[in-house]
Amino acid sequence: MDHVNPNDVWAPGANDRRGPLVTYSRDAADFDYMRINVPCQSACPALTNVPAYIRSIYEKRYGHSYELNRIVNLFPGTLGRICSRPCEDRCRHGEPELGEPVNICHIKRAAYDLKEPGHPFMAPMFSSHHKRVCIVGSGPSGLAAAHDLSTIGFDVTILEALDEPGGMLRYGIPEFRLPHKVLKYEIDSIVRMGITLKTGIRAGTDISFREIMSDYDATLIATGCYVSRALNVPGENLDGVFSGLELVMDIASNKSPNLGKKVAVIGAGFTAFDCARSALRLGAEDVTIFIRGLEEELRVTKEEIHDAKKEGIKIKALSLTQGIVGSNRAEGIEFVRARTGEIGSNGRRKLYPIEGSNFLVEVDSVIVAVGQSAQPIAAPGDKNDSGILIGNSDTFQSSEPGLYLTGDFLTGPSTVIESIASGRKAAERIAHDLTGKRFREWVVRMEEAAITDRHRSWDFIPRQEMPTVTPVSSRLVDRRVEVELGLSSEAAFEESKRCYLCNLHYEIDVNKCIFCRYCIDNAPRDCIKLVEKINLNENGAIDGFIETTNWQKVNAVVIDNSRCIRCGECVRVCPVDCISVTKVELVEKNLLAGRQ
Amino acid sequence: MAKVDITVEVCGMAGDGTIAAGGMINEAMSLGGYYVLGFDSYPAEIRGFGRCVTHSRIGSEEISALQDKTHVLISLNDVQSRSRAPFLQENGMVFFDSNPASYVTEEESLAAVLKTGVKLYGMPFSDLATQAAGSPRGRNLSALGGFAAVCGIDPDLFRQVISNKFESKGPRVLDMNLKSFDAGHEYALENFSHRLVGLFKGLEVEKGEKKVMLSGNSAIGKGAVDAGLKLYFGYPITPATPIMEYLAKALPPRGGQVVQMEDEIASIGAVLGASYAGARSMTATSGPGFALMTELITHGVMAEIPAVILDAQRGGPSTGLPTKTEQSDLQAAVFGGPGDSARIVIAPTNVSECYKFTVKSFQLAERYQTPVIVLTDFFLDNRVENVHPPHSTEQELQRLSVTPDSSKQGDYKRYEDTPDGISPRALPGMKGFNFVATGLEHSQYGAPDYSPENHQKMSAKRHRKIESALRDLFKPEEFFDDSEVDLGVIGWGSTFGSVLEATQEARRKGLKVSALKITSIYPYHAREIRAFMNKCKMILIPELNFEGHLANLIGHLHNSDVFRLNLVTGSPIPPSVIVSEIERLISGGVK
Amino acid sequence: MSAERFVIIGNGPAGNEAAEILREKSPRSRVTIFGKESIRSYKPHLLPDVIAGKVDQENIFMKPDSYFREKDIQLRLGQRVKHVDFNKRQVLLEHREVVSFDGLIIATGGKPRIPEPLEVFEDVMLTLKTAFDAQLWVDRLSKTDSVLIIGGDLTSLSLTRALINLGKKVFFIVNAESFWPLPFNERLSTEIQARLCEKGVEVLNSRTVRRLTQLSDTSVEVETDCEKIRVGVVGAFFGLVPDVKFLVRSGLDIDRGILVDENLQTRFANVYAAGDCAQVYNPVIKDYWVSIGYENARTLGRIAALNMLGEMLSVKSSPESIFSLNGVKVNTSWWMEF
Repeated sequence: MDHVNPNDVWAPGANDRRGPLVTYSRDAADFDYMRINVPCQSACPALTNVPAYIRSIYEKRYGHSYELNRIVNLFPGTLGRICSRPCEDRCRHGEPELGEPVNICHIKRAAYDLKEPGHPFMAPMFSSHHKRVCIVGSGPSGLAAAHDLSTIGFDVTILEALDEPGGMLRYGIPEFRLPHKVLKYEIDSIVRMGITLKTGIRAGTDISFREIMSDYDATLIATGCYVSRALNVPGENLDGVFSGLELVMDIASNKSPNLGKKVAVIGAGFTAFDCARSALRLGAEDVTIFIRGLEEELRVTKEEIHDAKKEGIKIKALSLTQGIVGSNRAEGIEFVRARTGEIGSNGRRKLYPIEGSNFLVEVDSVIVAVGQSAQPIAAPGDKNDSGILIGNSDTFQSSEPGLYLTGDFLTGPSTVIESIASGRKAAERIAHDLTGKRFREWVVRMEEAAITDRHRSWDFIPRQEMPTVTPVSSRLVDRRVEVELGLSSEAAFEESKRCYLCNLHYEIDVNKCIFCRYCIDNAPRDCIKLVEKINLNENGAIDGFIETTNWQKVNAVVIDNSRCIRCGECVRVCPVDCISVTKVELVEKNLLAGRQ
Repeated sequence: MAKVDITVEVCGMAGDGTIAAGGMINEAMSLGGYYVLGFDSYPAEIRGFGRCVTHSRIGSEEISALQDKTHVLISLNDVQSRSRAPFLQENGMVFFDSNPASYVTEEESLAAVLKTGVKLYGMPFSDLATQAAGSPRGRNLSALGGFAAVCGIDPDLFRQVISNKFESKGPRVLDMNLKSFDAGHEYALENFSHRLVGLFKGLEVEKGEKKVMLSGNSAIGKGAVDAGLKLYFGYPITPATPIMEYLAKALPPRGGQVVQMEDEIASIGAVLGASYAGARSMTATSGPGFALMTELITHGVMAEIPAVILDAQRGGPSTGLPTKTEQSDLQAAVFGGPGDSARIVIAPTNVSECYKFTVKSFQLAERYQTPVIVLTDFFLDNRVENVHPPHSTEQELQRLSVTPDSSKQGDYKRYEDTPDGISPRALPGMKGFNFVATGLEHSQYGAPDYSPENHQKMSAKRHRKIESALRDLFKPEEFFDDSEVDLGVIGWGSTFGSVLEATQEARRKGLKVSALKITSIYPYHAREIRAFMNKCKMILIPELNFEGHLANLIGHLHNSDVFRLNLVTGSPIPPSVIVSEIERLISGGVK
Repeated sequence: MSAERFVIIGNGPAGNEAAEILREKSPRSRVTIFGKESIRSYKPHLLPDVIAGKVDQENIFMKPDSYFREKDIQLRLGQRVKHVDFNKRQVLLEHREVVSFDGLIIATGGKPRIPEPLEVFEDVMLTLKTAFDAQLWVDRLSKTDSVLIIGGDLTSLSLTRALINLGKKVFFIVNAESFWPLPFNERLSTEIQARLCEKGVEVLNSRTVRRLTQLSDTSVEVETDCEKIRVGVVGAFFGLVPDVKFLVRSGLDIDRGILVDENLQTRFANVYAAGDCAQVYNPVIKDYWVSIGYENARTLGRIAALNMLGEMLSVKSSPESIFSLNGVKVNTSWWMEF
């Protein structure tokens, strides 16, 4: 078995002297460096160590790769299918002239798919604090918090209102995107830590919060957002108008609502797309998604849009819903065309209806998927105008001592990976509040590294796209058919070679450099610079260079790590061996015995 | 047979492999049976920020000059190549790296300065090389691959050239280079399938003796070796250094030696010493070094010691333009030095002549017992031509030493006043032929003698000797046998190629012009030159110098002023410029 | 005041018309056209005639090289624009050059539309938009005698005529949704089918194509919802879509094409879109519409250029020539010309 070395990731560096020189830093400048120079890891709300787990795939250590994910995001198999992939947007390989971002998400799935079936996980545990924590809700944030609290040494109970744990992962995402068995595997591996999971118990209804809070040292509400937003237009309550969330939850519970042949979906998020694609699987023939804004501004992944279109779904932009018409049942939707306006401070585009441009679309049914919000819950503590409990997004505390909030319930709808990160942070806070100790901390780990064994030619490997079930007709036969087939081990290997390994830091030793500039001649892009001055930010991290082409003014030849694609060509051509390579990564270290 | 006359330029920054790429084009096209004339220009600094440009003129007929219009520009660095854009033909072709390392502004872009009609072939040179060979170092070869594919050149010609060039560096390096070339070739075939231009199609390759690519400097080196050079003394200077480099390799196996001296004065001193002792010896330098040598050269004149001095001219005065071409040492070569110190000066005009004249210079030096100066220039030294492998006949290699008659033993006049001025020369140590060799004016026996009569007589003797050398010197060569023309153009050195092409072009345009090549600068064939001039209403002498050195020397032979065309741009004179001048003079109706 | 710098992306009728106006009305300005093809602009509707051998490839050009030199219009061919930074007012070219502009007209025209379900077979199908496409047709037709046309738009009809003139066997699968730019209804369908049959075209009953397999250089196997046939070449004709993908996420509003107001101005000052790539707001029909066709494009190019120079012209369009296609209103002059 091939495990993440606890010394590398969890434990302090007591034994590190055996191998290459390893140092840890808590310097703000180093965190700034990571933020700029290892963009994928920084972009991940859970700070997943992307380069490291991709490297493990290259080394064919799938279990190891899975573990590197699991220690921070807990659901690699799940996220490898449905993550919103903020990392890929920042991937350096996706910069305009460098091609497509690395398929980071699907490599993660490959780690799940290809690891040995019985691969056990290492999860160093702290000794028990003899305190009990109750978590309400078993969605991604609740499960993540439960996992962390359990490993830190708390006795954790989860109360789940529905029949199955998983929350939105189980009920909000159709099986053609996320098979239940994948989810179950990952939930099981969390619950197995010694967590008590009680399903079918709705807190606040089946059992009062007073009762829970008196039984437990702390209570964490992670019940997510289960109330569908309404369009607030006439006709919304007609038969044949479905709430998107309810529809996917029905489908997840094995029901098959009849939608007719011509279906319109109103909404622009993942749920809208899930509904549209589910509609096809329920027998609809003509499905159109009506969005208010523009297709290019959709927040769903482009694979999702492409697959939807491939299945025959149409997208119609700039359509503002005016009302749903019909005598008993929805028969049509009235829209008005929109003109685009400026992008507002919230990042959303303003849209102005074009007066008189109304048009009617005939439909058999309408699915409204325009967002969700949290459900009022009968718990003590301060509430907002809608009667929803409010909490502090930094401390996760409600106004009621011992009552905490996390995930979408606290923040409003977010992504799965954000929920997981939120759950873990809430757990850290609860542990600290209950014990006065800190158990883990993020540090920058630096290790002397040999030159990368990457070949420059790997940078030209095309992105290995996810194979899907074809022809499209065979996807629609059974709604449980997972559309994405997963990368083969060969494709995952090829894709892993594409990663630049931005966690390698290249640096020229100015004292050894002879300014020959062979490195510049062989650089793949303008990553090595003739520099007159280096600017530092307030933390002391490099914040830009003043370059010069005047040879008299050159003070140093510098590798700009924010431009560097880690090809190693400079190291190979340097005649005086003045370029060093250091592996740098953000790691979460366990603090022995819990530091104050 | 289609007439092919294509000029290809490769332009890049020092370090881009520009010169290597240009060299490979020359070799490949030579292998393909074309006539090739190549010339590189590069920055003065060894490893600087400067521009490198190679020019290759490739033709199906003999070539004697460079053209100023380029058909194909291969850019390895667009910022540098912008300066070459004005020289492109209207429908020229440009190969450039479509994925350079960094963004460029419009002010730095090559594509931004190309005229409508110029065809662009953007290829990711570095990426192709990297993909194929794992390193961007072969980007110049990817560029060549694209060039070969688009222009319809047999890629095997290049593959063979690459093999020859990189074989010695081991199979891995060779393989990387071949792969980089092939990557460019394949890319172009695939991406430009509808834009291929058979620039070089339709040539019947001439079967016959295989030609070799030779630079002027290599030809000089080979000439010296073939002539039996024993000792070379020199001090490095651009553009003469390659001669020393060549000889350092070629001479020792033939029993000769190359000695690097502390400076040019020492070099010429050592040459005179070796020659005095009877060994064939030479030195090569450029203007600044030549200036240092002049005092000792006149010593050779006075003491009548053979010596071969090669002056590879460059831009002057002083350090001047060390990597640019110019013909401004003629006056220094003919007149430089104290006193009435006439010496022989000859100037080849092409690579073959570089060989031939070097061989000849040793004969002349020995027969006339005086320093012989061979004048070349940067362009001639560094340009490459594909020529038939040069060799010399027995007659050309014959030693023309004039040795004393044994009857004179015991009464040997080393500086005997003979009708042709040539005195029999004995070598030091020959029994009964002892003599004094000195820079002081001397009697026929060599003893110092400052008497007025003696100085008058001996000066006349030495000058008579130089005049008599005319019989052994190459005569001026007239290229068109017209009885009378409007304009005669006279050229020397590397400029003559342009003169020849310009007059050919002018004649094609119906102008009555003729051309004369002068290779014997001093003494010169006044009678023949005058005869030519007399057939011409006007005379034009284009030279790469400001003062008109040759015009100053021979202009008086014409019955009116000769016209001059003096350019000191550092580059060879393009034939088109001379053609324009010819047209201007003839149409201007200058009386 | 330094000379204004106008940049035009697109070397089609709209771009060339705009360039001519800008040069004429603003003699001191610098005008540059970027064209992604390597040859100067030509009349695309002549391409079927080129394939038929009726028109020589040399005779399809709109203007000679010398025109651009005389007019001092910089024509930069084979230089593809990759991105536009509207904040910095810079055009970024594929070969990594950055060109600043004072005024920009986007006139990239259209490109062949391939419906998503057929995208996987893109390599197997030929389209006909560019002179290069025409060359491919000529090459392929030299080796084969049968052709299948899928979809059906006006280009496909001209091509079909050319193919029949060449004596080729033509099969046709009519795709109701793709009969660009005409609205496809029963009447039109019957008329077109009748005309095709009359000319000797075999109209297949199939509705959709399931699979295309390239068997060899000269043979493609076609599997449809109801039959399986083998032909030499398959052509896809689903009309054109605005060629604006490179501007996605540039800040411009893009629906199908670039959304512009009735003056053809985009969201950004001095940035206009004209021709087939623009989706123009029409106050009469209160919707955005796409204009296609050679003459329409020239008109729009002209209006964009004049408005750039300070006029405030609106695009006129007669509502009867507007059709709705795939939810996008379409204006055409082609079918009138056809």
